[in-house]
Amino acid sequence: MKLANHLRKYRFEHNEISQQDLANAVGVTRLTIHSIETGKFNPSALLALKIAGFFKVKFEDIFYLVEERSKK
Amino acid sequence: MKKLETLMRGVSIVLGLASIAFFVFDYFVFASLRPKMIHFEAISAAEETLMNWVGVGLLLFLAFCLLSLFQIAKYLKYAKKVTLFSLILIVAGVLSLLFIFGDVALLSDIGKQYRHGLAQPEWLMLYPVVGFQFITAIVFTYLHLSGFFKGKQLKYVAQDSNIFLMVQYVGVICGLLGLSSSSLGFLFPRAWTLQIHTTIGPIVLLIPYVLVALYWTFINFQEKTSQWFDEKQLQDIGRSAFLTLVISAIFMIVLFISNYNNLSGVVSILWLPLYLFSVLFLFSLGNLYFSGKD
Repeated sequence: MKLANHLRKYRFEHNEISQQDLANAVGVTRLTIHSIETGKFNPSALLALKIAGFFKVKFEDIFYLVEERSKK
Repeated sequence: MKKLETLMRGVSIVLGLASIAFFVFDYFVFASLRPKMIHFEAISAAEETLMNWVGVGLLLFLAFCLLSLFQIAKYLKYAKKVTLFSLILIVAGVLSLLFIFGDVALLSDIGKQYRHGLAQPEWLMLYPVVGFQFITAIVFTYLHLSGFFKGKQLKYVAQDSNIFLMVQYVGVICGLLGLSSSSLGFLFPRAWTLQIHTTIGPIVLLIPYVLVALYWTFINFQEKTSQWFDEKQLQDIGRSAFLTLVISAIFMIVLFISNYNNLSGVVSILWLPLYLFSVLFLFSLGNLYFSGKD
């Protein structure tokens, strides 16, 4: 299982807020937001809840689990 | 704050222009002294005085490099990201700063060899090194004049990543230079000295890293940052530290085994700089790799 997200979609739906502005709001670096968006970094529960709180939605509206495809 | 920035820019421009003028002066001094010194002809007291002015020029250039690197760091804090151009500026600034100590060492060696009637192959190294510094002085002065370092791309950055990355880039440069210079001890074991090569050399090579790391620390203190690293940076640092531990341990074991029959030789005064610079290089490179990978 892998953690995926709709972060990019939510950013664009919220006046196309930049990665830097979101990073400033939740107190992390822009690179961290970028890594979460591209699925290369799994945020802590605290950060994920902060992000969901920023967009005023539930955690599971942004983050969800997907099956990882096995490598052949 | 604005006044201080304007003052710094003004001082940088004056120092930059003075450095350029001194490099042109240096070229003519070297061009007139080199043929005489190579052929061991007498040098007048007035010509020796000219060399003192070369030293003054290098001191001004040292101040210019330090001020320029400080302004690059300030500029990067509010830059959207560390671009290739800013990376080139960091590398050029750090190398030019370190080359000043190289200039002093080369000129001192040339003087000593001339007095002892020996050949001076150092002249061949001096010209490209000074040429590189001359180009850096021109580019940096142009950037100060054009107000390149004045523009802020972002208004506010809650958690810094650019200066942290700059520290890592400088760490890679200093680590690599330290490893290269320390390794020279194996090629010239008889010429290697504990005081100059093992002690003073590494201290000089660490200056840019210490300065930029201190600046990063100062900013975190000044802005009363609640957390110095965010969670991804902490993860990157952890992975990088583990990688550094494994590779540096292997490196030191290989160094020990390869010198097993001569442990009292040059390796006895080289192991510490080799260890320090390998750790610095690996840790900084690891941080850059992991921060760019994810």
